[in-house]
Amino acid sequence: MKRIPVSGKKTVGIIIAFLCVGTAAIFGVHVSHEDSAHPSSDSGSIDAEMVHVASTVGGRLKELNVSVNQHVHKGDILYRLDSEPYELTVRQAQANLDLASAEVENQTRLLGVKTSNAASADEQVVRARTNRDLAARTVQRLQPLAGKSYIPWQQYDQARVALHDAEVSLAQSRNQSAAATTAIGDLKSSLAARDAAQTVLDLARYELRQTTVKAPADGYVTSLRVKAGEVLAPSQVLFTLIADDEWYATANIREINLSAVRIGDCVTVYSMIDRRTPIRGHVQSIGWGVLSADSAGIARSLPIVPRQMDWVHVAQRFPVRIQLEKTNPLLLRLGATATIEIRHGAACP
Amino acid sequence: MRPPCPPLPVCRYSASLRPGILCFLATAGCSLRGAPSFPIVGAYFPDWMLCGLIGIATTIGLRVLFLLTGVDTVLSFRLFTYVALGVVAALTVWTLVFGP
Repeated sequence: MKRIPVSGKKTVGIIIAFLCVGTAAIFGVHVSHEDSAHPSSDSGSIDAEMVHVASTVGGRLKELNVSVNQHVHKGDILYRLDSEPYELTVRQAQANLDLASAEVENQTRLLGVKTSNAASADEQVVRARTNRDLAARTVQRLQPLAGKSYIPWQQYDQARVALHDAEVSLAQSRNQSAAATTAIGDLKSSLAARDAAQTVLDLARYELRQTTVKAPADGYVTSLRVKAGEVLAPSQVLFTLIADDEWYATANIREINLSAVRIGDCVTVYSMIDRRTPIRGHVQSIGWGVLSADSAGIARSLPIVPRQMDWVHVAQRFPVRIQLEKTNPLLLRLGATATIEIRHGAACP
Repeated sequence: MRPPCPPLPVCRYSASLRPGILCFLATAGCSLRGAPSFPIVGAYFPDWMLCGLIGIATTIGLRVLFLLTGVDTVLSFRLFTYVALGVVAALTVWTLVFGP
């Protein structure tokens, strides 16, 4: 009499047990599926671009217009270096340019002189040729006369010597003319020297301009710990400027879930500075590479392959870059912890 | 989107059980609203850990309830049944509060 209820109870119990376990299993699979279809990360971080502010020239920091954590706008003057050495360099370069310009004028005058010399040398050639022709004609005329002894041989010889003389003079004047023409030359070297001086001046002016450093973007001044008077080397970073025109969040998503992440997907980001305010964003890009410890090695050498017998491998994660929409600026600090929900959450209805 | 939080006085003056539970759930939802990551003494704990705790608490609560009401005698494979119930409770909380 007692066995029937017990077995009935047992059957009911077994049915309940199977129902519960079945429900839990199906529900578990469903939730697991949902979770991988909507990747999320609670170890993300708020990210922004930054500029390491430095001047390409060195010198003493003369004027510092910003303080740490201050907000600046693009084009604001951040600091000035002592410009005196660069002004002196500009003056020196200017003087060199003036010198080079004066040299050009000098050479222009010399060129005129040499051109005139060449012209007169040409005229000398004409004169010498005329003299030579006259001497030649004289010899030609005297030759038959001397042959018939109408004139003394002495006179004929003098005429021939005069012809030879005239020929030598002509050859000399030709050479002189050629030399004078060659000596004219041109202004190329002095013009090149002037161009070089001009370039040096431009460079000096550029360096002078670099003594004033302006903000390359809107942003916040960080890690500034020096005052005016500090001596800076060329390209020495004085502080870091966090650009605040665009903010990002970086979520490290496991590779098995990456296929569910698409460019442009809506993202809910919570900056843990205030975990109640959702920030809307969208997936901008997915990182194309991370350094893997297994493939690390020295370039140009053999690969380092550790011996191992691991059966369980932890999934690699790739950084997903999320561009944030405008929100309360107090929530956005570079490096803040961020909780990120891709394609779900309060900001993505 | 979750419903907006009711003001506290509603909870205080509600007499019957049903609105009381609703109030509790609503305020619980309010406290859970926000990032699915909970700061406790300077560290962040993930949402699934909270769900797991709720699941364990539910299992213990159901066990006590079933013992008191006598339902426990009907059950077989009690370990599996209670664990499954706890899992279902945890997953329900996750789906309702944190799920997509």
